[in-house]
Amino acid sequence: MAETTIGLAGNPNCGKTTLFNELTGSNGYVGNWPGVTVEKKQAAWRADKSVTFVDLPGIYSLSPYTPEEVVSRDYIVGERPDAVINLVDVTNLERNLYLTTQLLEAGRPVVIGLNMCDLLKERGDVIDATSLSQRLGAPVVEVSALRATNLDALVSKAVAAGKAGEIPAGARCFSPEVEEALGKIATIVSGSCDANLVRWYSVKVFERDSEAVKQLHLSSDQLNQAEKIVKAVEKARDDDAESIITSDRYDWIAETMGACVKKAPKRLSMSERIDKVVTNRVLGLPIFVAVMFVVYYLAVSTVGTWGTDWANDGVFGDGWLWNPADQAAYETATEEYDAGYYGDKIDGFLAAADAAGLDTADVSDAVAALAEDPEDADAQAVVTDFVAEAGAAGIVATDVPMHDGDGNFLDANEEVVTRIDAEGEPVLADGQELAVIDAVTAADFADAVAAQESAPALEDYGSFVPSVPSVIEGWLAAAGASEFVTALVLDGIVAGVGAVLGFIPQMLVLFVLLCFLEDCGYMSRVAFVMDRVFRRFGLSGKSFIPMLISSGCGVPGVMATKTIENEKDRRMTAMLTTMIPCGAKTPIIALVMGVLIGGSDAWWVAPMFYFLGLAAIIVSALMLKKTRMFAGDPAPFVMELPNYHLPTLKSWWLHVWERISAYLKKATTIIFAASVVVWFLLEFGFANWEGGNGAFGFLSLMDGAPEYYTDYSLLAIVGNAVAWIFAPLGADTWQAAAASINALIAKENLVSTFAVIYGIGDATENSVTMWSGFAGMFTDASGILHVGAMCAFVAFNMLDAPCFAAIGTIRRQMDSPKWFWFAIGYQCVFAWAVGLIINQLWELFALGNFGVWTVVAFVLLAGMIFQIARPMPKTEREDEKILSDLSESAA
Amino acid sequence: MASPQLPLAMAGADEVVRVARVRGDAGLRQHLAELGFVEGSEVKVVSRAAGDVIVLVKGARLALNRSMASHITVSI
Repeated sequence: MAETTIGLAGNPNCGKTTLFNELTGSNGYVGNWPGVTVEKKQAAWRADKSVTFVDLPGIYSLSPYTPEEVVSRDYIVGERPDAVINLVDVTNLERNLYLTTQLLEAGRPVVIGLNMCDLLKERGDVIDATSLSQRLGAPVVEVSALRATNLDALVSKAVAAGKAGEIPAGARCFSPEVEEALGKIATIVSGSCDANLVRWYSVKVFERDSEAVKQLHLSSDQLNQAEKIVKAVEKARDDDAESIITSDRYDWIAETMGACVKKAPKRLSMSERIDKVVTNRVLGLPIFVAVMFVVYYLAVSTVGTWGTDWANDGVFGDGWLWNPADQAAYETATEEYDAGYYGDKIDGFLAAADAAGLDTADVSDAVAALAEDPEDADAQAVVTDFVAEAGAAGIVATDVPMHDGDGNFLDANEEVVTRIDAEGEPVLADGQELAVIDAVTAADFADAVAAQESAPALEDYGSFVPSVPSVIEGWLAAAGASEFVTALVLDGIVAGVGAVLGFIPQMLVLFVLLCFLEDCGYMSRVAFVMDRVFRRFGLSGKSFIPMLISSGCGVPGVMATKTIENEKDRRMTAMLTTMIPCGAKTPIIALVMGVLIGGSDAWWVAPMFYFLGLAAIIVSALMLKKTRMFAGDPAPFVMELPNYHLPTLKSWWLHVWERISAYLKKATTIIFAASVVVWFLLEFGFANWEGGNGAFGFLSLMDGAPEYYTDYSLLAIVGNAVAWIFAPLGADTWQAAAASINALIAKENLVSTFAVIYGIGDATENSVTMWSGFAGMFTDASGILHVGAMCAFVAFNMLDAPCFAAIGTIRRQMDSPKWFWFAIGYQCVFAWAVGLIINQLWELFALGNFGVWTVVAFVLLAGMIFQIARPMPKTEREDEKILSDLSESAA
Repeated sequence: MASPQLPLAMAGADEVVRVARVRGDAGLRQHLAELGFVEGSEVKVVSRAAGDVIVLVKGARLALNRSMASHITVSI
């Protein structure tokens, strides 16, 4: 049986992708946002695999104004599908028929599907499909893509039309003098093209569509002849040829509408009433800000955070409990247990015993052994002997400090003490008192050891689900994997990929909300409202949607730039959108805020970083706009605003899935590979420590490897080699360089890399030890914390090239090595310059340090200000000119 | 026809106007024409804010910013 290929063509947002999904069962994403299909998708019909559908991007016409139109036109005229289904949104019939009149000329069998007839009926309008079909000269079928009615009839008609080769003659839609001219042109071109395309090329020659005319290879004599015919009509009509064709089409459509559609009296539709409010000059922005606040509150501060904690601490941490009742019981037990401060009592008493001259090494090992296995008889004996000995010696530990679950000191009000000195001792503010246990006796110690044995453990609950790392560890142990393989799999792969997957819950919440806003139609209004603001900075309102999406993840954010028609605007948005802090950058924010203000709970912290990202984008846009490659005003904004509607659950989910899966694919490919590479760099190196033999190998298993063996790793060598780059930024250690490199895999690696390098183990961005470790990197020998250097380092990592996943997406989006490298280069240089300025200005104003780099910083700052302030290089400012001309003529 | 002409950017909310002409380069004119802004077509201004307009034309709702709307001259 012969294969049949059917192209699906139609206006943006007319339901084409819904139709395609319904017919093929494939999961293209459908949005209520014009222009969601940019590349053409292809899949077989569910009912008959020999029929293949090609979903073309939504277009308004076949003349190439946008890349989408070029794709569709090349396909229909160049690749010649067996038939074309033209899906028409009847609630918007006039507009849709414009494309139809062009498709009918394209020399392929066309079947027209009238979509959304149900909505039309609600409005009270009636379409006479039979007379429409007669006027168009092609079959017309009423369908509903959303409810899947009549779709088989539509496809069968298209297949039949394709088999029979019923090429429509094309609607006689032009005025008599134009039809006459087209007839004459037809005789000129008829020898140069396919007989079915004579009408198509006649119109193209008439319109002087240079690209289409080129394909005909007409002689200059023929071209002159045609030009004469066109000129004559232009003169008669006093208009240019292109406008004549367009307005004739519309005139004919208006006539057709009059003949085939009975319209009910107009009411102000619901969408119009909503638009009056949400696009209101005064209310538009505040409404948008309020909506976004709710979105981020849910995604970042509440629901999303619970999800992320579950993924990071549960699935990739210690395991979790699926039964909420068990979880609640576990939390109560843990709280009670924590309230006993048993660990503090044990440590305090052992320290006191040690100070009193008792040998505590054995007993502390025994306590650790009992925590693992309460039945360990040897350990029990050691503890019992020790308690007796210490009791006899009358040892009492006094003023033992208390710690919270993160290992932080507490003050008398049970608040975390946010400063510790280099020895790890707490630094108290005036009037702050450390929370202490007054006295711990030998009996208390014995109780504490006993209590610790029965510490609540997740595994003891019925609904315990072990974590992914522990399951894999079990498999590896069962398979007898070597220590090296185990380390590679667990620390390299599982930890790396797990850290990335941990962000999915938060992203899911954010995308569920953002996709709803897109699908219900609100986002296109936001683009319009924001256009007013963004235009001042040389960006189009359409640039704003990718930035919103980037606040979840840069990968779908960069992909969303596809819908921006103007090439310059699209490239600039793809370059800058990743400067918005994504989910993975939030731990970095938490870390630096911990150092600066002792916690990141303040609600204004996260929004502040979004504004910083936005400020960086605006400064960049203002600067780039003054360069030759981006010069010129952003493309004037025109965008269709679809009717508001509640998205169906299925299309909503498909949309969310499209976004999430883009990220998942990157996580399982690029990030997987990069994690392994960085792990190798960190774990392998040369044994150059004191007493080492200088050999190359797996450091942690080599003889005499020191605790901080990563100092000798390949990553340290690489970090040292590039550390000079960071020296002017105030962070000239290899650790800072290595962390920045590691952050390219996934930005949150910045935090975990510090944990690994400084051997803080599982300290998190909320631990004071982590804060002081991080602060220590920026503290000089005299104990001054270089806040400027720290902020510079963070700013650099926020603004520089994004993670590999997003870099890969930018590469695909730019589709040009030159532009790709320019984008990455700009991001890094800009980030470095911002870091330099922050650090040097702080050094100068806070510490009075002045040097060569201070001068460089001032030069860069002046350069930036100059670039922003200087006048726009010579470009066409046509819009302004039109406006001023008009005001003059009006005066 | 002596009816006053003005850029669409200056038309008031709820006004119904007719397109008199479209200015700009060929590509832009073509694109606007395809969206329905051809000579004589009726345009209803749904809302207007500082020259940015939302209009109904040929049955579709379109948002245009000030510079795009000033390319279109309309008559009342």
